[in-house]
Amino acid sequence: MNTYDTADSDEHPMLSRLIKLGLFLLAQGIAVMLMAFVALLVSFGTSWSATTEQAGLLQPGDARSGTLLLKDDGAITEAIRLGIDVDITVSGPTLRARVTQVFRNPSKDWVEATYVYPLATGGAVDTLKMVVGDRVIIGDIKERQQARVIYEEARRAGQKAALTEQERPNIFTNSVANIGPGETVLVQIEYQEPVHQSGNEYSLRLPLVVGPRYNPAPIVQSVEFRKDGSGWGAATSDPVPDRDRISPPVLDPAKNAPVNPTSITVRLKAGFALGEVKSHHHNVKVESPDNTTRVVTLADGAVPADRDFELSWKPAAAKAPSVGLFSERVGDADYLLAFVTPPSAEQATQKPLPREVVFVIDNSGSMGGTSIVQAKASLLYALGRLQPDDRFNVIRFDDTMDVLFPASVPADAAHVREATSFVRALQARGGTEMVPAMRAALTDKLADSSMVRQVVFLTDGAIGNEQELFEAITTMRGRSRVFMVGIGSAPNTYLMTRAAELGRGAFTHIGSVEQVEERMRGLFAKLENPAVTGLTAKFSEATADVTPAIIPDVYRDEPLVLAAKLDKLAGSLEIKGRVGDRPWSVTLPLQDAAEGKGLSKLWAKRKIGDAEVARTLREMTPEDADKTILALALDHQIVTRLTSLVAVDKTPSRPEGAPLKLSELPINLPAGWDFEKVFGERPQVPAQLRERHADARNQPTTRRPTPAAPDAIRLPKTATSAELKMIAGLILIVLALILFVFNRRRPLLTDAA
Amino acid sequence: MTNKEIQMPRLISPLVLALIGLILFGDGAYIQAKAWLAQVLLERAFDRSIATGQAVKPWSWADTWPVARIEVKRIGASAIVLEGASGQALAFGPGHVQQTADAGERGIAVYAAHRDTHFRFLRNVAMGDVIDVTRSDSRHFRYRADSSAVVRFDASGIDPAAQGFELILATCWPFDAVTSGPERYILHATLIGADR
Repeated sequence: MNTYDTADSDEHPMLSRLIKLGLFLLAQGIAVMLMAFVALLVSFGTSWSATTEQAGLLQPGDARSGTLLLKDDGAITEAIRLGIDVDITVSGPTLRARVTQVFRNPSKDWVEATYVYPLATGGAVDTLKMVVGDRVIIGDIKERQQARVIYEEARRAGQKAALTEQERPNIFTNSVANIGPGETVLVQIEYQEPVHQSGNEYSLRLPLVVGPRYNPAPIVQSVEFRKDGSGWGAATSDPVPDRDRISPPVLDPAKNAPVNPTSITVRLKAGFALGEVKSHHHNVKVESPDNTTRVVTLADGAVPADRDFELSWKPAAAKAPSVGLFSERVGDADYLLAFVTPPSAEQATQKPLPREVVFVIDNSGSMGGTSIVQAKASLLYALGRLQPDDRFNVIRFDDTMDVLFPASVPADAAHVREATSFVRALQARGGTEMVPAMRAALTDKLADSSMVRQVVFLTDGAIGNEQELFEAITTMRGRSRVFMVGIGSAPNTYLMTRAAELGRGAFTHIGSVEQVEERMRGLFAKLENPAVTGLTAKFSEATADVTPAIIPDVYRDEPLVLAAKLDKLAGSLEIKGRVGDRPWSVTLPLQDAAEGKGLSKLWAKRKIGDAEVARTLREMTPEDADKTILALALDHQIVTRLTSLVAVDKTPSRPEGAPLKLSELPINLPAGWDFEKVFGERPQVPAQLRERHADARNQPTTRRPTPAAPDAIRLPKTATSAELKMIAGLILIVLALILFVFNRRRPLLTDAA
Repeated sequence: MTNKEIQMPRLISPLVLALIGLILFGDGAYIQAKAWLAQVLLERAFDRSIATGQAVKPWSWADTWPVARIEVKRIGASAIVLEGASGQALAFGPGHVQQTADAGERGIAVYAAHRDTHFRFLRNVAMGDVIDVTRSDSRHFRYRADSSAVVRFDASGIDPAAQGFELILATCWPFDAVTSGPERYILHATLIGADR
């Protein structure tokens, strides 16, 4: 057989080889065409997979998240690691929190770290300590500019330094300079805060993350004239001039493990026998050394800082004490803190006035995820509670706005049904233009004074232009009352409390879907029952500086909280007011006040808050308000908008010439938020930044009002891999051919041999 | 041991190699074939659009539709432009980049296409060549090519708010490269006339 083969081949060696080669190539060619067309027909309709990798067109919005993520990646691999420990001691009406931030530098560079973090709105930050090795450096309170200068000088000189600055009453920044390679620096701040009371329940809230804020594009210009009276001024047009300072990089939870592990310990000394102690959003371990004390720690050790910690406790007795009086002596003054819960008028004795309620719901991108679910559930609950003789309207907003009815309509079945289906269809997307929505809600079209006008505003408050909102409320509130409902795992409580205060309403927080019904019931108790009005406080003997100076109305189950600075602790305090249409008064003898801690700081903090409100209400000139705030802050060692704490380690540590790198610590996205919805839909952000750098002073008139267009058109990817594939395919086929021919020859050669 | 028995295993490796080669080649050919076939279908759909005055989809499940025909008569090149410049659309024809003006309107119209399929002809377009654009509403515009540039995809320098009547044809650069890169070739043209 072998010999035959050989013999055959020998007869026409070249010819047969050529024929075979030709046939093979022909077959190859046919196969290629067949393959191509079979593939074409089979997958033309079903799949575009062959070219999906070409989908390279970048929307302008991607640019923002893209650059942000790149920065984050760098931050994770290179930058500083942070651990947080919070230790809270509750003593009666106040709490003192010690927040320790551990900055560890695993890199080989000298690093400056900045970390943006939230604190409770009412917290008075008064202590900064920096621990380097075994040295503890205590920070001093300084005017903000001065503190900055001290810090910068230390930074340049290679000394370790820490700086605590207030960005908003509930957002602070810690900067730490010159952390050496492999070094760990501890920064500790302490603050004092009153315990919150509502009805029978006491609670504390520890915010752990700053939700990314929507910072509206500059459109409205405000003008600041020079102080020399020359009539010349500069137009400042940015509603959020400090947008960079409150926008730390945020990690996409889908792509990164949570950062900033936090451990929490709460030592609860309530001052009365304790009943239920409950953590609303974290699993906790509760130890009870005795019946008035609890020690609460996180069950799982450290948790990522991505949601607020909320702890509430109730007295063992059926009813919480309705009065609390505490005093502290600092220097030559006495400071007093009084809690009084007015009696609630029974509903049976009074027919509630018909109401006009305007519901405003935030359906912006930051509400994506569980927040919008909570907001919708809350609003649906509220719609269900309306009475037929009430009137109502619904407004929804993101960066656009819809008002459901032209004017408020009677809450009959048909209207409520229409509103219900409107609310059910809402989707979270877009930016947060809150001011126009608030203005629309406050516009009193009916002007029917026989009805109580209430605005219920559901939002997470994730905006950076709080001041604009406050001004809108102040100028437009009229007879409306604004009730803020804070939604989500990390709402902006400063915005909520201040807006409710300016709107003479109340603030309710809903942190999870489970809380919706309970909290909304509480809110409706406030809406439906008459408030305690016309409140005054009078001291019989002592001369007192009372805050709040004008006592706001108190809603059902809320206590009246008064702080005062007294020249002597003698006589009594009489509080008078009206519950519905009946007069009410209570007298508290000051001698019986129990000793409290840190009350002077709380008093000062509230006075500072009053001054800020007066500034918003234009009751004080900005200069006067700032002067008052500065004096109080320096006196009581509190961090404010105008004062910072700074600590410098005099021993230089960074050798001269070694470079210092800046590391902005990334933060988590608040739990339940949707990264795409927040960062995927902010196309105007780069444009805004450009607007900001292009200074308004140069060409205020050429500004385009809507900087929505991207910087420049991005071009799509315009190359296919067709050629590459065809070339690679041909090379492989040729290789196969060569192998084939080679293999054909080998047996012949061996046989011939 | 016979010759056949020895040959069989030896044949396997070249066969496998040939098969992979075939698949790769077929895949590449498929892209080209799809681009070619789609243009045939698009040509038909576009003619119908002009006749009916309505957007006609080239095939029933298409997520895009023809918006214009561009022609460079000097070199005999022509292509039907699709709405949108997503990867899917670009497989079938040049895409009209979203957020840019329509041809013939104030602003810059940007059309992008693959350098190895529909805009292969772009390298042959010389400055001064007339580019004819017929819109689906059968209006006709004449542009003249007046400049070209090589830019990065994310720094095209194309101002979406430009006030002139301009057209940009964009494709990948360099023309002969086989892998894709960040550089783009843009050909700029200015409107010189319009007629029905």
